[in-house]
Amino acid sequence: MSTEQETGDLSGGTRTGAYASAVRWMENLSETQYAYLLLSPAMLLLAVIAFWPLLSTLRLSLFADSFAAASVGQFVGLDNYVAIITGQRTALLPSPFLPQALTVQALFNSALAVTILFTVISVSFETVIGFVQALILDQDFRGRRWVRVAIILPWAIPIVVQGMIFFLMFQPNIGFLVGTAEDPALLNQLGLLSVTPLANAQDATMIVIVADVWKTTAFMALLILAGMQSIDRSLYDVARVSGASPWQRFKLITLPIILPTVLVAMLFRTIQAMRIYGLIETVAGCTTVPSLSCLVVTTFNQRLLGSSATIAFITAAVIGVVVSIYIVGYARGEMA
Amino acid sequence: MSRDTRTDGGVQGEPELKRGPFQRWVASTIKEPQKAYRAMFYVATIFFLATTLFPFYFLLVLALTPENAPLALFPTAPRFEVFLDVFDRVNFLRYMFNSLVLALSTTAVVLLLASLAGYVFGRLQFPGRTPLMLLILAISYFPPAAFFLPLYQLFTGNVVPGLSLYNTPGSMILPFSSLFMPLSIFILTTFYGQIPDGLEDAARVEGTTRLGALFRVIIPLSAPGVATAGVLTFISVYNEFFFSQLMNNGQPANWAPIVGGLLSLQRAGQFQVTYGVMAAGSIIAVVPVAILVVVAQERIVSGLTAGALKE
Repeated sequence: MSTEQETGDLSGGTRTGAYASAVRWMENLSETQYAYLLLSPAMLLLAVIAFWPLLSTLRLSLFADSFAAASVGQFVGLDNYVAIITGQRTALLPSPFLPQALTVQALFNSALAVTILFTVISVSFETVIGFVQALILDQDFRGRRWVRVAIILPWAIPIVVQGMIFFLMFQPNIGFLVGTAEDPALLNQLGLLSVTPLANAQDATMIVIVADVWKTTAFMALLILAGMQSIDRSLYDVARVSGASPWQRFKLITLPIILPTVLVAMLFRTIQAMRIYGLIETVAGCTTVPSLSCLVVTTFNQRLLGSSATIAFITAAVIGVVVSIYIVGYARGEMA
Repeated sequence: MSRDTRTDGGVQGEPELKRGPFQRWVASTIKEPQKAYRAMFYVATIFFLATTLFPFYFLLVLALTPENAPLALFPTAPRFEVFLDVFDRVNFLRYMFNSLVLALSTTAVVLLLASLAGYVFGRLQFPGRTPLMLLILAISYFPPAAFFLPLYQLFTGNVVPGLSLYNTPGSMILPFSSLFMPLSIFILTTFYGQIPDGLEDAARVEGTTRLGALFRVIIPLSAPGVATAGVLTFISVYNEFFFSQLMNNGQPANWAPIVGGLLSLQRAGQFQVTYGVMAAGSIIAVVPVAILVVVAQERIVSGLTAGALKE
């Protein structure tokens, strides 16, 4: 490789001694040394701000809660994990980790159940709607650019604004989707919403799901669209000549080719959905809809550092499990 | 019950019960399927335009409608002063300024570090390349909550005595940078990897230093890639919630971004701050990213797809 030539003298002639020697030192490094030198700033940042906190969270999760100070008590090993998963810790936590009973009410109060429910429902809707949006954007029509802007716009807005929109939309006092007990709105009459939906766990979870679908479907649509546009167009010409209907062309060409892309997009969205925090905090508050990330923060606010770290790590582990399910499913799909 | 055999050999098993205009329309579109697909296309497009844009329109109507007046599809006496009220209620200008400073400085840090890393991953061969890339990728799997506790302790001065970044820009720029850098590294790795070796070699023969070749040849030639990574990082930081809320006490003087501004409007309660003011604040907060989306939509689309389909 030419990158190993010594060329420092050519440009270093008029510079100061220190600069010239630094350049010469860098020019004489081997390719491997040079690679690690350039990587060092990024790796240093990641080491301090990502890897150290992860290991430190793991360490904190092995210590007991201490109510006195902003630190932890004595070393207790895996006790925190056992106590949280078996439900012994529930009385102390702001919201239970697992459902306390098999009722709908209990399901919506449990951090794990709410998070999984939210993820499954919102990602399924986003996939289906994103698919349809991608089919639309794949067509050639006038004004396509502006339709694309309109579809991307919700994706690009701050989470706090997204939360604000849905917080305001479902305010009883504004009275456009939500009425009062005397003057119920359509959604109230249908029994879909209570008159104080943002204080009701079930209603608030549904509103959060709608808000999430509204904002992040665009992401799904763009990824699926990229998959569609990578398909060789001549396949469609062949199909058209042999008399395949548009539906058959979709089912036999488009769908099988973009399925891997859809799976990758779903994986991305699933990882993001399982971290849901800001939207809930703005729309309904973390006590009404206790997602896993919400529970980490509320537990931390009660100074239960050990429990908080344990829940943070369980959250990461749950995401890890979901990621491996996708990867196994993907590998199986590749083989078939 | 008749079972129609279709020309393509498929079997249509649905019993035909309804008769009327709909039936006739169906019959005509079966003869001319193009018409049905066209109609479906327009209905779906209009439906999606309405659903994505309606919430923004709702915000606008709510902001312009005077207090205690009922909402109408077109407000009869719009009150534009509401946008000025936002700046009276809280120091919204400072919140916006904080957001822009945080987003721009994070973007600068990320572009510099990710350029160096992207050059290494895209153009150099060295032992440990794949494991290091996987390690960086792994970060994006972890929820921000998994980093939060130790970082909070670090930034409040409980780990290294005397080092307190809480309520300063650093307490947000550092987590943002490490959180959003992996995506930029992958985008830039792709772009830098596509520059032909010959161009870099030519610059080196001319006497350019190793770093000079990166900054004077590789990066300028990959300008679209750098722009893509920059736009995506800027939008991600501007929209971030978790660290934006938790790494400061929400005061504008303590570098709280617009998350702090809008939450303080919301929490002041409706007797202090009307819903119209909250809606107006939200609209103001959206303006910078809305402009960015219109100007840079190609970059956003290519960046999102390149970043995600890389794996």
